[in-house]
Amino acid sequence: MPVKRELQLLNAAIRTNTKIMAVAFGLLGGAILWLSTVVLLIRGGEHVGAHLSLLSIFFPGYSVTWTGAWMGLVWGFVFGALSGTILYWGYAQTLREHLTTRLLDAPAATPLTPPTFLISGNALGVGLGGLMALQLLLTTNWLVVRGTAAYSSNAALLSHYLPGYTVSFSGSVIGAIELFAVSFIVSHVLAASYNFVARVRMRA
Amino acid sequence: MTNRRAELDRGDLIVRAAFARLDVVALAVAVGCVWALGLWAATAILLVKGAPPDMGVGNHLALLGHFLPGYTVSWPGSVLGLLYGFLIGVVIGTVVGAVWNLAHHIYLVLMVTRNYFAGDL
Repeated sequence: MPVKRELQLLNAAIRTNTKIMAVAFGLLGGAILWLSTVVLLIRGGEHVGAHLSLLSIFFPGYSVTWTGAWMGLVWGFVFGALSGTILYWGYAQTLREHLTTRLLDAPAATPLTPPTFLISGNALGVGLGGLMALQLLLTTNWLVVRGTAAYSSNAALLSHYLPGYTVSFSGSVIGAIELFAVSFIVSHVLAASYNFVARVRMRA
Repeated sequence: MTNRRAELDRGDLIVRAAFARLDVVALAVAVGCVWALGLWAATAILLVKGAPPDMGVGNHLALLGHFLPGYTVSWPGSVLGLLYGFLIGVVIGTVVGAVWNLAHHIYLVLMVTRNYFAGDL
């Protein structure tokens, strides 16, 4: 198979898998935001969802109301789908070089048995780290652009976890670098745990 | 001949990789562990850092108690957060793994069916 055909085949596979990942993350994102809103509405109280409703800064039309819950479902799906797309796209950048090390075959597998996917910590680190860093950059600078950075006391609390982070352009860059590093480490933990359990289950 | 065989093997490998399934149990456990550690660490960091005398520790993180009954920013709360984090991670890992595998299965069935009726199989 010439290299060009091989690339076409691989790119087609990556495109399909990116769409699948987008749908999976979209469903998850929509469900989480819808459910979070509904839980607060059912619990009730004086100031229902005062903090969650701050999401309307990023998701226009969202509010902690029944209508807002459905709006949240749509926004959650869009946000999740975009996140899934960026995550898999970032992950797939090194797929071509390491294809042989990413598959686990069952001992009694037939040619038609699909192999099990092994996760690369480095590749996931690039995908997840890039996604998290991009999200922090975009959300922080959106607050800066709309002129509410000085009042964003909730966002500023991130500095508890990301030293040096502030709601400013320079603060967002520092926070993004730190978040990339944390996500990279988390990705390695996730990949190592997943690969370990998958291998144990395959042997069993 | 050997090169041709290697080229076919490579193509076969790409197709197999494209339809590789995720181990749902492994993904659920792995994401569960990461979420558990994440929520525990988020709580522990605030507890270790502390707060000024006139302010409570982790007032904002404590709002998670709305969704996770019993959770507080305290050492016992961090242990409960560990359990809740694991449960949340398990659900997320299961959903992602299940959707991934199901979508690949549906895609494969549709492709085979289409080729069958087109007379290619």
